[in-house]
Amino acid sequence: MAPFHRLASIFSTLRTRLAAPYKGEWIGDPLRVAIFTAKFICFAHLTVEYSYTVSHGVGPSMLPTFEVIGDCFVVSHRHRFGRDVMVGDIVVYNIPVNNNNSIGVKRVLGMPGDYVLTGTPHSYHSESAANTRKDLMLQVPPGHCWVVGDNITASRDSRIYGPVPLALIRGKVVATVKSPFDFQWMENSFKKVDDDDTIER
Amino acid sequence: MARWGSAGTQARSFLGQFTHHLIRYATWLPPLICVKEYVADLTFINGPSMYPFLNPHYNESLRRDLCLTYKRYSWKNLKRGMIVIFRSPENPKTTQVKRIVALEGDRVRTRPPYPYEYVNVPEGHVWVEGDGENTKDSNYYGPISAHLITGRITHILLPWDRAGRVRWWEHPERPGLHKGLF
Repeated sequence: MAPFHRLASIFSTLRTRLAAPYKGEWIGDPLRVAIFTAKFICFAHLTVEYSYTVSHGVGPSMLPTFEVIGDCFVVSHRHRFGRDVMVGDIVVYNIPVNNNNSIGVKRVLGMPGDYVLTGTPHSYHSESAANTRKDLMLQVPPGHCWVVGDNITASRDSRIYGPVPLALIRGKVVATVKSPFDFQWMENSFKKVDDDDTIER
Repeated sequence: MARWGSAGTQARSFLGQFTHHLIRYATWLPPLICVKEYVADLTFINGPSMYPFLNPHYNESLRRDLCLTYKRYSWKNLKRGMIVIFRSPENPKTTQVKRIVALEGDRVRTRPPYPYEYVNVPEGHVWVEGDGENTKDSNYYGPISAHLITGRITHILLPWDRAGRVRWWEHPERPGLHKGLF
Protein backbone atom coordinates (compact mmCIF):
# COMPACT_ATOMS: atom_id res chain seq x y z
CA MET A 1 0.00 0.00 0.00
CA ALA A 2 1.30 3.40 -0.93
CA PRO A 3 2.32 5.60 2.01
CA PHE A 4 -0.33 8.17 1.17
CA HIS A 5 -3.12 5.57 1.25
CA ARG A 6 -1.84 4.21 4.54
CA LEU A 7 -1.82 7.72 6.00
CA ALA A 8 -5.31 8.36 4.68
CA SER A 9 -6.64 5.11 6.17
CA ILE A 10 -5.04 5.91 9.55
CA PHE A 11 -6.65 9.33 9.43
CA SER A 12 -10.09 7.98 8.55
CA THR A 13 -9.83 5.33 11.30
CA LEU A 14 -8.90 8.04 13.78
CA ARG A 15 -11.79 10.12 12.57
CA THR A 16 -14.35 7.35 13.08
CA ARG A 17 -12.84 6.35 16.46
CA LEU A 18 -12.95 9.92 17.72
CA ALA A 19 -16.46 10.42 16.43
CA ALA A 20 -17.84 7.08 17.65
CA PRO A 21 -19.35 8.27 20.95
CA TYR A 22 -21.07 11.17 19.20
CA LYS A 23 -22.47 9.29 16.21
CA GLY A 24 -25.30 11.24 14.70
CA GLU A 25 -24.62 14.35 16.75
CA TRP A 26 -23.41 17.61 15.20
CA ILE A 27 -20.05 17.26 16.95
CA GLY A 28 -19.57 13.78 15.48
CA ASP A 29 -17.49 15.06 12.57
CA PRO A 30 -14.24 16.64 13.83
CA LEU A 31 -13.34 18.02 10.39
CA ARG A 32 -16.62 19.86 10.09
CA VAL A 33 -16.28 21.20 13.63
CA ALA A 34 -12.77 22.46 12.85
CA ILE A 35 -13.92 24.19 9.67
CA PHE A 36 -16.88 25.74 11.45
CA THR A 37 -14.61 27.00 14.24
CA ALA A 38 -12.18 28.54 11.74
CA LYS A 39 -15.02 30.23 9.88
CA PHE A 40 -16.46 31.59 13.10
CA ILE A 41 -13.08 32.93 14.26
CA CYS A 42 -12.63 34.72 10.92
CA PHE A 43 -16.14 36.17 11.16
CA ALA A 44 -15.61 37.37 14.74
CA HIS A 45 -12.21 38.85 13.89
CA LEU A 46 -13.56 40.80 10.92
CA THR A 47 -16.57 42.01 12.89
CA VAL A 48 -14.37 43.37 15.67
CA GLU A 49 -11.63 44.67 13.39
CA TYR A 50 -14.00 46.75 11.28
CA SER A 51 -16.32 48.03 14.01
CA TYR A 52 -15.16 48.80 17.55
CA THR A 53 -12.35 47.56 19.75
CA VAL A 54 -11.44 48.32 23.35
CA SER A 55 -7.75 48.87 23.97
CA HIS A 56 -5.60 50.62 26.51
CA GLY A 57 -2.68 52.98 26.33
CA VAL A 58 0.32 53.34 28.59
CA GLY A 59 2.33 56.51 28.96
CA PRO A 60 2.19 60.11 30.12
CA SER A 61 1.74 61.74 26.71
CA MET A 62 -2.07 62.23 26.96
CA LEU A 63 -2.12 62.99 30.67
CA PRO A 64 -5.09 65.25 31.36
CA THR A 65 -7.27 63.08 29.12
CA PHE A 66 -5.91 59.59 29.86
CA GLU A 67 -4.12 58.42 32.98
CA VAL A 68 -0.56 57.11 32.70
CA ILE A 69 -1.72 53.54 33.17
CA GLY A 70 -5.00 51.70 33.37
CA ASP A 71 -7.29 53.73 31.15
CA CYS A 72 -9.20 51.87 28.46
CA PHE A 73 -10.81 53.48 25.46
CA VAL A 74 -13.16 52.42 22.68
CA VAL A 75 -11.71 52.77 19.17
CA SER A 76 -14.03 53.18 16.21
CA HIS A 77 -12.46 51.59 13.13
CA ARG A 78 -14.95 53.27 10.85
CA HIS A 79 -12.51 56.17 11.01
CA ARG A 80 -9.51 54.15 9.79
CA PHE A 81 -7.30 55.80 7.18
CA GLY A 82 -8.50 59.16 8.48
CA ARG A 83 -12.10 58.90 7.28
CA ASP A 84 -14.18 61.71 8.80
CA VAL A 85 -11.40 62.61 11.22
CA MET A 86 -11.42 66.26 12.25
CA VAL A 87 -9.08 68.55 14.11
CA GLY A 88 -9.46 67.83 17.84
CA ASP A 89 -10.17 64.11 17.50
CA ILE A 90 -7.98 61.58 19.28
CA VAL A 91 -6.70 58.97 16.85
CA VAL A 92 -4.93 55.63 17.19
CA TYR A 93 -2.15 55.18 14.63
CA ASN A 94 0.96 53.19 13.83
CA ILE A 95 4.01 55.22 14.83
CA PRO A 96 5.72 55.86 11.46
CA VAL A 97 9.32 55.71 12.70
CA ASN A 98 9.01 52.43 14.63
CA ASN A 99 9.88 49.08 13.17
CA ASN A 100 7.61 47.09 15.43
CA ASN A 101 3.84 47.29 15.35
CA SER A 102 3.62 49.90 18.09
CA ILE A 103 0.59 52.14 18.43
CA GLY A 104 0.34 55.82 19.29
CA VAL A 105 -2.67 57.65 20.73
CA LYS A 106 -2.58 61.40 20.11
CA ARG A 107 -4.80 64.36 19.31
CA VAL A 108 -5.04 65.62 15.73
CA LEU A 109 -4.06 69.28 15.57
CA GLY A 110 -3.89 69.70 11.80
CA MET A 111 -5.46 68.14 8.75
CA PRO A 112 -4.17 68.46 5.16
CA GLY A 113 -3.79 72.11 4.23
CA ASP A 114 -3.74 73.46 7.79
CA TYR A 115 -0.81 75.48 9.10
CA VAL A 116 0.85 74.17 12.25
CA LEU A 117 3.79 75.18 14.46
CA THR A 118 6.50 72.52 14.48
CA GLY A 119 7.87 73.58 17.87
CA THR A 120 6.42 73.74 21.36
CA PRO A 121 5.07 77.17 22.28
CA HIS A 122 6.60 78.83 25.36
CA SER A 123 9.43 76.32 25.62
CA TYR A 124 11.91 77.55 23.03
CA HIS A 125 14.62 77.95 25.66
CA SER A 126 14.39 74.42 27.04
CA GLU A 127 16.57 71.64 25.66
CA SER A 128 13.88 69.01 25.16
CA ALA A 129 14.03 66.65 22.20
CA ALA A 130 10.70 67.92 20.92
CA ASN A 131 12.25 71.32 20.51
CA THR A 132 14.76 70.59 17.78
CA ARG A 133 12.74 72.30 15.07
CA LYS A 134 12.06 75.58 16.76
CA ASP A 135 9.49 78.12 15.67
CA LEU A 136 8.89 76.84 12.18
CA MET A 137 5.44 77.01 10.64
CA LEU A 138 4.50 74.39 8.07
CA GLN A 139 1.52 73.47 5.96
CA VAL A 140 0.41 69.89 6.52
CA PRO A 141 0.96 68.07 3.18
CA PRO A 142 -1.93 66.31 1.39
CA GLY A 143 -2.83 62.95 2.90
CA HIS A 144 -1.14 63.66 6.23
CA CYS A 145 -2.16 64.96 9.64
CA TRP A 146 -0.36 66.65 12.52
CA VAL A 147 -0.72 64.79 15.83
CA VAL A 148 0.35 66.15 19.22
CA GLY A 149 -0.13 64.70 22.70
CA ASP A 150 -2.09 66.66 25.29
CA ASN A 151 0.88 66.63 27.69
CA ILE A 152 3.20 68.46 25.33
CA THR A 153 6.24 68.36 27.58
CA ALA A 154 6.25 64.53 27.79
CA SER A 155 5.05 63.48 24.37
CA ARG A 156 6.81 62.13 21.30
CA ASP A 157 4.62 63.13 18.38
CA SER A 158 4.65 65.00 15.09
CA ARG A 159 7.01 67.58 16.58
CA ILE A 160 9.67 64.86 16.44
CA TYR A 161 8.75 62.68 13.45
CA GLY A 162 6.78 65.10 11.33
CA PRO A 163 3.33 64.73 9.79
CA VAL A 164 1.77 61.26 10.01
CA PRO A 165 0.22 59.73 6.86
CA LEU A 166 -3.54 59.33 7.20
CA ALA A 167 -3.13 55.77 5.94
CA LEU A 168 -1.45 54.86 9.24
CA ILE A 169 -4.52 55.85 11.27
CA ARG A 170 -6.29 52.77 12.63
CA GLY A 171 -9.24 54.44 14.26
CA LYS A 172 -10.62 57.20 16.38
CA VAL A 173 -11.19 57.15 20.14
CA VAL A 174 -14.93 57.55 20.67
CA ALA A 175 -15.27 56.74 24.39
CA THR A 176 -13.24 56.14 27.53
CA VAL A 177 -13.80 53.33 30.01
CA LYS A 178 -12.04 54.39 33.21
CA SER A 179 -13.62 51.55 35.16
CA PRO A 180 -16.31 49.00 34.28
CA PHE A 181 -18.90 51.41 35.71
CA ASP A 182 -17.50 54.63 34.25
CA PHE A 183 -18.21 54.82 30.53
CA GLN A 184 -17.96 58.23 28.92
CA TRP A 185 -18.44 59.25 25.32
CA MET A 186 -15.58 61.34 24.00
CA GLU A 187 -16.57 64.64 22.47
CA ASN A 188 -14.50 66.78 20.19
CA SER A 189 -13.66 69.83 22.29
CA PHE A 190 -13.18 72.00 19.21
CA LYS A 191 -16.69 73.24 18.58
CA LYS A 192 -18.04 75.69 16.10
CA VAL A 193 -18.62 79.03 17.76
CA ASP A 194 -22.22 80.24 17.55
CA ASP A 195 -23.03 83.86 17.07
CA ASP A 196 -24.89 83.89 20.39
CA ASP A 197 -21.78 82.97 22.35
CA THR A 198 -20.04 85.92 23.91
CA ILE A 199 -16.43 86.03 24.90
CA GLU A 200 -15.99 87.06 28.52
CA ARG A 201 -12.79 88.70 29.57
CA MET B 1 -31.54 13.58 12.29
CA ALA B 2 -30.24 14.63 8.93
CA ARG B 3 -26.52 14.97 8.49
CA TRP B 4 -25.39 18.34 9.69
CA GLY B 5 -24.82 20.75 6.84
CA SER B 6 -26.67 18.67 4.26
CA ALA B 7 -29.67 19.96 2.39
CA GLY B 8 -32.04 17.60 4.22
CA THR B 9 -33.80 14.52 3.01
CA GLN B 10 -37.28 15.71 2.22
CA ALA B 11 -37.84 17.89 -0.80
CA ARG B 12 -37.90 21.63 -0.18
CA SER B 13 -39.26 24.49 -2.16
CA PHE B 14 -37.00 26.15 -4.68
CA LEU B 15 -36.73 29.28 -2.54
CA GLY B 16 -35.80 27.23 0.51
CA GLN B 17 -33.03 25.41 -1.33
CA PHE B 18 -31.80 28.65 -2.87
CA THR B 19 -31.58 30.37 0.54
CA HIS B 20 -29.91 27.35 2.05
CA HIS B 21 -27.16 27.30 -0.57
CA LEU B 22 -26.77 31.07 -0.45
CA ILE B 23 -26.15 30.98 3.29
CA ARG B 24 -23.84 27.99 3.01
CA TYR B 25 -21.62 29.74 0.49
CA ALA B 26 -21.80 33.07 2.31
CA THR B 27 -20.22 31.52 5.40
CA TRP B 28 -17.01 31.17 3.35
CA LEU B 29 -16.78 34.93 2.81
CA PRO B 30 -15.12 35.83 6.16
CA PRO B 31 -12.30 33.27 5.73
CA LEU B 32 -11.82 34.49 2.17
CA ILE B 33 -11.55 38.11 3.28
CA CYS B 34 -9.13 37.14 6.05
CA VAL B 35 -6.90 35.30 3.59
CA LYS B 36 -7.01 38.19 1.13
CA GLU B 37 -6.11 40.66 3.85
CA TYR B 38 -3.53 38.78 5.89
CA VAL B 39 -2.02 36.02 3.74
CA ALA B 40 -2.05 36.53 -0.01
CA ASP B 41 -4.01 38.42 -2.62
CA LEU B 42 -4.26 38.81 -6.39
CA THR B 43 -3.54 42.30 -7.68
CA PHE B 44 -3.92 43.93 -11.06
CA ILE B 45 -1.18 46.44 -11.84
CA ASN B 46 -2.34 49.77 -13.25
CA GLY B 47 -0.20 52.35 -14.93
CA PRO B 48 3.32 52.70 -16.26
CA SER B 49 5.33 53.29 -13.08
CA MET B 50 7.06 49.88 -13.08
CA TYR B 51 7.75 49.83 -16.84
CA PRO B 52 9.40 47.69 -18.26
CA PHE B 53 9.19 45.11 -15.47
CA LEU B 54 5.41 45.27 -15.03
CA ASN B 55 2.96 46.41 -17.71
CA PRO B 56 5.58 46.56 -20.53
CA HIS B 57 2.84 47.21 -23.09
CA TYR B 58 1.00 49.89 -21.15
CA ASN B 59 0.97 52.25 -24.14
CA GLU B 60 -0.08 49.57 -26.63
CA SER B 61 -2.90 47.69 -24.93
CA LEU B 62 -5.33 47.82 -22.03
CA ARG B 63 -4.09 44.47 -20.72
CA ARG B 64 -2.91 44.62 -17.14
CA ASP B 65 -0.53 42.30 -15.33
CA LEU B 66 -1.97 40.05 -12.64
CA CYS B 67 0.35 39.56 -9.68
CA LEU B 68 0.37 37.49 -6.51
CA THR B 69 0.92 39.59 -3.40
CA TYR B 70 2.21 38.15 -0.15
CA LYS B 71 0.84 40.01 2.85
CA ARG B 72 2.17 38.35 6.00
CA TYR B 73 4.25 40.78 8.12
CA SER B 74 4.53 43.14 5.19
CA TRP B 75 6.41 45.81 7.17
CA LYS B 76 9.12 43.37 8.29
CA ASN B 77 12.20 41.95 6.55
CA LEU B 78 12.18 44.44 3.71
CA LYS B 79 15.12 44.21 1.32
CA ARG B 80 16.47 46.50 -1.37
CA GLY B 81 14.99 45.54 -4.76
CA MET B 82 11.68 44.15 -3.50
CA ILE B 83 8.54 45.26 -5.30
CA VAL B 84 6.01 46.36 -2.72
CA ILE B 85 2.42 47.57 -2.64
CA PHE B 86 1.64 50.40 -0.23
CA ARG B 87 -1.05 52.91 0.53
CA SER B 88 -0.16 56.22 -1.00
CA PRO B 89 1.04 58.74 1.61
CA GLU B 90 -0.67 61.46 -0.42
CA ASN B 91 -4.08 59.80 -0.68
CA PRO B 92 -4.87 56.94 1.72
CA LYS B 93 -7.65 55.65 -0.54
CA THR B 94 -5.24 54.57 -3.29
CA THR B 95 -2.44 52.03 -3.39
CA GLN B 96 0.77 52.18 -5.36
CA VAL B 97 3.34 49.66 -6.52
CA LYS B 98 7.05 50.58 -6.45
CA ARG B 99 10.46 49.07 -5.90
CA ILE B 100 12.37 49.52 -2.64
CA VAL B 101 15.61 51.36 -3.39
CA ALA B 102 16.97 52.12 0.07
CA LEU B 103 16.25 51.05 3.64
CA GLU B 104 16.56 52.96 6.91
CA GLY B 105 20.04 54.30 7.48
CA ASP B 106 20.93 54.52 3.78
CA ARG B 107 21.89 57.69 1.95
CA VAL B 108 20.35 58.22 -1.49
CA ARG B 109 21.19 60.67 -4.24
CA THR B 110 17.74 61.93 -5.21
CA ARG B 111 16.25 62.68 -8.63
CA PRO B 112 14.81 65.97 -9.91
CA PRO B 113 11.56 66.85 -8.15
CA TYR B 114 13.17 66.37 -4.73
CA PRO B 115 14.43 69.64 -3.22
CA TYR B 116 17.71 68.28 -1.78
CA GLU B 117 20.49 66.40 -3.55
CA TYR B 118 21.05 63.77 -0.85
CA VAL B 119 18.63 62.30 1.66
CA ASN B 120 19.21 60.08 4.69
CA VAL B 121 16.38 57.57 4.98
CA PRO B 122 15.09 57.87 8.58
CA GLU B 123 14.33 55.05 10.99
CA GLY B 124 11.37 52.88 10.06
CA HIS B 125 11.21 54.34 6.54
CA VAL B 126 12.11 53.13 3.06
CA TRP B 127 12.87 54.93 -0.18
CA VAL B 128 10.71 53.64 -3.05
CA GLU B 129 11.04 54.35 -6.75
CA GLY B 130 9.36 53.09 -9.89
CA ASP B 131 11.43 51.46 -12.61
CA GLY B 132 9.97 53.60 -15.37
CA GLU B 133 10.34 57.22 -16.32
CA ASN B 134 6.70 58.15 -15.76
CA THR B 135 6.45 57.62 -12.01
CA LYS B 136 5.49 59.57 -8.90
CA ASP B 137 7.59 58.08 -6.13
CA SER B 138 9.76 58.98 -3.14
CA ASN B 139 11.47 61.64 -5.24
CA TYR B 140 8.13 63.40 -5.13
CA TYR B 141 6.87 62.77 -1.57
CA GLY B 142 10.01 61.66 0.28
CA PRO B 143 10.74 58.44 2.18
CA ILE B 144 7.65 56.47 3.22
CA SER B 145 6.97 54.68 6.49
CA ALA B 146 7.35 50.91 6.28
CA HIS B 147 3.93 50.58 7.92
CA LEU B 148 2.30 51.92 4.77
CA ILE B 149 3.43 48.78 2.94
CA THR B 150 0.58 46.28 2.65
CA GLY B 151 2.29 43.54 0.66
CA ARG B 152 5.11 42.45 -1.59
CA ILE B 153 4.79 41.06 -5.10
CA THR B 154 6.16 37.54 -5.29
CA HIS B 155 4.85 36.16 -8.61
CA ILE B 156 3.57 37.40 -11.93
CA LEU B 157 0.56 35.25 -12.89
CA LEU B 158 -0.63 36.84 -16.13
CA PRO B 159 0.32 37.16 -18.99
CA TRP B 160 1.58 33.61 -19.45
CA ASP B 161 4.79 34.47 -21.28
CA ARG B 162 6.16 36.45 -18.35
CA ALA B 163 4.53 34.35 -15.60
CA GLY B 164 6.84 33.23 -12.82
CA ARG B 165 8.59 34.26 -9.69
CA VAL B 166 9.71 37.84 -9.25
CA ARG B 167 13.50 37.66 -8.88
CA TRP B 168 13.86 40.90 -6.97
CA TRP B 169 17.27 39.92 -5.60
CA GLU B 170 18.70 39.95 -9.13
CA HIS B 171 17.76 43.57 -9.67
CA PRO B 172 20.89 45.77 -9.90
CA GLU B 173 21.39 48.39 -7.23
CA ARG B 174 20.58 51.91 -8.18
CA PRO B 175 23.60 54.19 -8.69
CA GLY B 176 23.86 56.90 -6.06
CA LEU B 177 22.90 54.61 -3.16
CA HIS B 178 25.19 54.51 -0.12
CA LYS B 179 24.27 51.67 2.19
CA GLY B 180 24.13 52.07 5.96
CA LEU B 181 26.08 55.30 6.28
CA PHE B 182 24.66 56.40 9.61
